[in-house]
Amino acid sequence: MSYTTETELVVDNTSTAERLASAVVGLGLVTFTFSLVSLARVITEETTILGIGLYDFLAVGLLLMGVGTVTLGVGSRVGVFNTSPDVTPGLVTAALFGIGAFAIAGFVASQLLGLGTLGWLLLAALVGGATFAGVALAPEDLGSTLPPGVAAIGVAGLVLGGILTPAFAWEPEGFSATLTGSMAIPLVLSVTTLVTMWAGAKAYEGYGSKGRQTAAYLLVGINAVSIIAVLVALLLFIASKGIGPAFQGFSIVPLEWPFVTNGYSFRPEIVNGVFPAIMGTIWLVIGAVITGVPVAVAAAIFLTEYAEQGRFVGAVEIATNGLWSTPSVVYGLFGYAFLIPRLGGTTSLISGMLVLGFMLMPLCLITSREAIKAVPDEYRDASAALGVSRWETIRSVVLPAAMPGILTGVILGVGRIAGETAPILLVMAGGLRDDAPDVLGSFEFISSPPFVANEALLESAPALPYQLYATITAGVSAENAAEFGWATAFILLVVVLSFYAIGIASRIYFRRRLNA
Amino acid sequence: MTELPLYDPRKRLRRLLNVDRDIGLLFAIGGGCLLGTFVLFLLNSTLAVVPLAGFLAATGYGWYTHQAETARALTFLATASTIFILGLITVYVFVEALPVLQRMGVRLFGFTEPVEIFGVTLIPGVDSFWSTSQHTYSLIPMIWGTFVTTLIATAIAAPLGIAAALFLAEIAPPFVRETVKPGVEILAGIPSIVYGYLGFVVLNTFLYENLEMANLGSLFLVGLVIGLMALPTVVSVADDALTSVPDAMRDGAVAMGLTEWQTMKSITLPAALSGVSAAVLLGIGRAVGETMAATVILGHSQVLPDPLQDVFDNTETLTSLIASQYGNANGLHMNALFTAGVVLFITVLILSIAARRIELRMDHKLGGGQ
Repeated sequence: MSYTTETELVVDNTSTAERLASAVVGLGLVTFTFSLVSLARVITEETTILGIGLYDFLAVGLLLMGVGTVTLGVGSRVGVFNTSPDVTPGLVTAALFGIGAFAIAGFVASQLLGLGTLGWLLLAALVGGATFAGVALAPEDLGSTLPPGVAAIGVAGLVLGGILTPAFAWEPEGFSATLTGSMAIPLVLSVTTLVTMWAGAKAYEGYGSKGRQTAAYLLVGINAVSIIAVLVALLLFIASKGIGPAFQGFSIVPLEWPFVTNGYSFRPEIVNGVFPAIMGTIWLVIGAVITGVPVAVAAAIFLTEYAEQGRFVGAVEIATNGLWSTPSVVYGLFGYAFLIPRLGGTTSLISGMLVLGFMLMPLCLITSREAIKAVPDEYRDASAALGVSRWETIRSVVLPAAMPGILTGVILGVGRIAGETAPILLVMAGGLRDDAPDVLGSFEFISSPPFVANEALLESAPALPYQLYATITAGVSAENAAEFGWATAFILLVVVLSFYAIGIASRIYFRRRLNA
Repeated sequence: MTELPLYDPRKRLRRLLNVDRDIGLLFAIGGGCLLGTFVLFLLNSTLAVVPLAGFLAATGYGWYTHQAETARALTFLATASTIFILGLITVYVFVEALPVLQRMGVRLFGFTEPVEIFGVTLIPGVDSFWSTSQHTYSLIPMIWGTFVTTLIATAIAAPLGIAAALFLAEIAPPFVRETVKPGVEILAGIPSIVYGYLGFVVLNTFLYENLEMANLGSLFLVGLVIGLMALPTVVSVADDALTSVPDAMRDGAVAMGLTEWQTMKSITLPAALSGVSAAVLLGIGRAVGETMAATVILGHSQVLPDPLQDVFDNTETLTSLIASQYGNANGLHMNALFTAGVVLFITVLILSIAARRIELRMDHKLGGGQ
């Protein structure tokens, strides 16, 4: 009986602190999200929320957080809340808070109080040093809550008091940019919010190593979520801009999709499309796969099945990594110097194919080698035990088993080269066109060497990524150039990302099957 | 004494290819034809198709009569081609750069003032950094531009990327990890020209208006965009490095009473440090070689920003120099662009070798620990 009462008391005690701390963190999440969105100027100072201006609204949130955090810290010290703080927050925390205090004090002194260089430096150093010493010597509950709480209240005061307004402007010396209020306020708000949330999360667990873990997890989690949110927002933004123009005139019955099936005709009454560029990209990919993949797979077979670790294999590994990391523009230069003079003297589709093939080769080599390595040795041993020769084993046991992995590597590699612009910029070029390259129909036999000729291969051809670049540099027919560009970007994204999605999905599928 | 024959290159090659005497001739013909094809191609002769046909014929014949040996020889050729292609790239980029390398010498890295140490002139000054009319080419502004953008990109991608990888590898529950990791890998595939287009159309004007900048395009924005672009790659590779740390190490730490966060800080991250820094080095390599975003966003002026630290000014990077000027370059001007390629190539090669070394060390360390 007494046991339950005691627990109830404890539960009651902690839950007040816990509730307050989760309120601080929750309020922080809202304030942080709004600050980030207003940093992108999706919502501005003219937006009103619950009848008050955006910045005032956020500042009120921050003010409440600050008060809550200070309450949590002081409450823990005087024993209202049941916590288990360490002796000190640690030197790292102290140093970070010291630097933060230095920055805030320096900023306030130089920009808002208008002190000279010596004055603000002195004041900032004083405040920063005092904060550092204070935090380092204070017990953990006070040391990790008071500075963020005070900073939060202070920043909120600056915004609410009309000292830090959208009209604020700070032109740092030696930079040709001005930090305006509309950028500075969301920035300062989001940073302060993050630090205050960190303190709140720490208080939630009653400080100590458990508190530090929760606080760290909170920040790391917010970071991960923000990164993904920003990247996904970027994709959605491109889709929202591109879907409209890309589906202009689209109908299912009869099946019509002018943007994908039309060329660029420079005629206003016809929807301009990217059909030639899509065909060009397809031909580039086919050419690159034909030149790059067989060599890559053969080399992977030699490295895993025949060669022994030695100087030759070491050199090949260095060469492969070198090729893998060589910047695409250097491949372009190489193609410009080596291939173009020997393949007709002008930028051409076949040069583009070969250069992309050279780029694809190391990508596929590395993944194919991994795939062949992953085939269990039992397969080879069983085959050898049946008296099958080494090459027969490779051909009918190892390669089929490794094929899914090799294919995955090829798909991912193709996704990568399909979006490359820099190399084809130098060796293929090819602007906006009405007609697609007709590679198959242009083969003809001639009487002089090389006996086979193909006009289409020796001409420039358009390709999706290059077309996007051309849209930027040429500023096509000014009026709807931007729309055309967004639609091209959208189609390019769909093409490239579906290669990636298929490749990654098949990798996950085959890995699961291999492990099962 | 008995070891010596092993080092005889001919014997070694023969052992490598496991060649019998009867098919030696076939290989000789095939190899000779391939060499002939290459030489004729180098000489820019369309006759190269003749030996190429010979090579294909020899291969086809060998495939039907001695499939195993032919396959082995072909795979060997493919393997050797990696070294060959890297060599070819090196030679051609260097040879094209040579005229300007000879003309400029150390002044390729020259400032407008001579660089002197104790009164000894190390690098004579140049009149202007980049002048196609006087054929003066100093890469200093471009190197500075590449350095600054890479620095900004790394400052964004490295800490945020590693933290996100830590979340994915150590903190996130399995179902979150299994859905988010492939998503991040897909995001790594967004082509750079798409980022470039976004930077050119939206971000350039956004920063211009909201930071009241003097000009469209800045090193700051390029660094920002490249950093964002490199983030998914860094997250994905660092995540692989973190998950390759054996569980036994973590279990040991937890058994000692450490919290999970303490384990991450003091066990997992240090153990994965080599792999994580390899991830960052790879990311830096990508940032150095990133072309399209810089080309599209920057305003292309081949001078140092004034003052030097002004990251909001327009400069040029090595990559955007090549991509923006190749179109109207010929003669020495084109050769000068190749010198930029040489600097890029060497920088990235060094980064790649360093990353590889670190990775090998990590494998060695963790392999020994198991």
